[in-house]
Amino acid sequence: MKAPRPAAGGLAAPVASLGDYGLFLYDFAVAVLRHGVPWREILAQAYAIGVRSLPILLVISSFVGTNLALQGHAAFRALGGERLVGMFVSLAGVRELAPIIAASMVAAKAGTEMASQIAVMRIREQIDALEVMAVNSLAWLVAPRLGGILLVLPALTLIAIFSMVGSGYLVAVHQLGISGHSFMSFAVEGVGVVDFWYGVVKAMVFGLVIVTVSCWYGFRATSGPEGVGRATNLAVVTSAIVCVAINYFLSELLYGGAG
Amino acid sequence: MPALVRQTASSLAALGRFAWFAGQVARRVVTPPVFGGEALLATWTTFTRCVLPVVAVTLPYGMVVSLQGLEIFRMFGAERLLGSLVSVAVLRELSPVMASVLVAAQGGSACAAELGAMRIKEELDATEVMAVDPLRWHVVPRVLGLTLATPLLGIAGSVAGLVGGYVTAVLVKGETSGVFLGGMWALMGPVDAWAGVLKTTVFGAVIGLIASYHGFYATGGAAGVGRAVNDTVVRSVLVFIVFNYFLTSALFGAVQP
Repeated sequence: MKAPRPAAGGLAAPVASLGDYGLFLYDFAVAVLRHGVPWREILAQAYAIGVRSLPILLVISSFVGTNLALQGHAAFRALGGERLVGMFVSLAGVRELAPIIAASMVAAKAGTEMASQIAVMRIREQIDALEVMAVNSLAWLVAPRLGGILLVLPALTLIAIFSMVGSGYLVAVHQLGISGHSFMSFAVEGVGVVDFWYGVVKAMVFGLVIVTVSCWYGFRATSGPEGVGRATNLAVVTSAIVCVAINYFLSELLYGGAG
Repeated sequence: MPALVRQTASSLAALGRFAWFAGQVARRVVTPPVFGGEALLATWTTFTRCVLPVVAVTLPYGMVVSLQGLEIFRMFGAERLLGSLVSVAVLRELSPVMASVLVAAQGGSACAAELGAMRIKEELDATEVMAVDPLRWHVVPRVLGLTLATPLLGIAGSVAGLVGGYVTAVLVKGETSGVFLGGMWALMGPVDAWAGVLKTTVFGAVIGLIASYHGFYATGGAAGVGRAVNDTVVRSVLVFIVFNYFLTSALFGAVQP
């Protein structure tokens, strides 16, 4: 990876960044084809991303599940359809919320970590040192992170689905007084096996976005502590926005045609 | 086992330090002098910094709710309920939570990064040497700014989410505009609007306190600032999602007799 390209000013800046991101992706693809992937590193990264994001993901997705049940109950009660809470929780959780919540938590936890690690390496000239030792920095630093996230983000998404529906069940049955049997039968009716596969597809796309965006901001970092802070900040915000925007088109593509 | 004990003790100690810090900040909010101009400036900075990300996230989210809801309601032939689903989902949950997540990611992390950089460069010590209280001058305006800006951003996010839902339902999927707009207000009351404002104000205060705590006590050079930013985003999201359950329970979730 070459040093950051000179910045453009004014209205040209966003276009120039987009182009820079495109060049980064191209450089990365070429580097992986030419230098290969350090396979052993992938497992280490999968552990760092997956296992260390797991506790926070479990807490957040359980509390999202509880709120789905509460709000579904509040909305359907007016129409006399309290039994539909199960279906609401499973549909909303499996199709939309679990993939996007897992992606945003991984972006917030692991993505910011990637951005700040690489940014620190950049400003301490460790990346230049790698290049001097004839190690391709993109293949060595980015490829294992990408491999790791593609391994663990689908798994995290499935875990988020189960903790969401599980906590929704607890709230529905023990706080709202819905019978457990009707909750579960509607929950199972709401989703098919294909929805889980779509969740895996979404997770892989989000993982690609998170790693490339976070590492790109890390590589572009300049100028001391503020530079590291700014790279970290932009990494999480940009990857969250891009994931949510892509999510709309993925949902339209995967589910929109049926209507 | 001693490692576990030590870890528990140190996280309890961190919690205690945070409570002390929050108390110090709270005392300076209620006793003069409060630098109101700085606080307004911080509110405006936070608002302008976050409004684009918030709108960029809630708009597609409103569209997704509309898209998925329409598919379900078409199964039952109840398309006229779509407007109600979108307005309930956006106003009660999505917009307060998504707006706050984005404020944590953008405004909170910027606050932690600024304070952290000031700490690392010893600017906070310099402020203190000049007999200016750094908590009063640097921290309180930022906390107030995040607390005041988050509800405004929540409102902006709600508007964007409703617009997104309308665009998908009416312009893309060809539902009737009048039915959608009519259904939108069928289940809504003023309480829903106020609940959103109340939630986002609480979340904003949580984000402000957690962000300035991590920035204020950042250590260890440039990497320390990165760590402070990371911790801020993760912990503030964690704390306000948990708060969200209790607030939603108190506001909407009747406990079944």
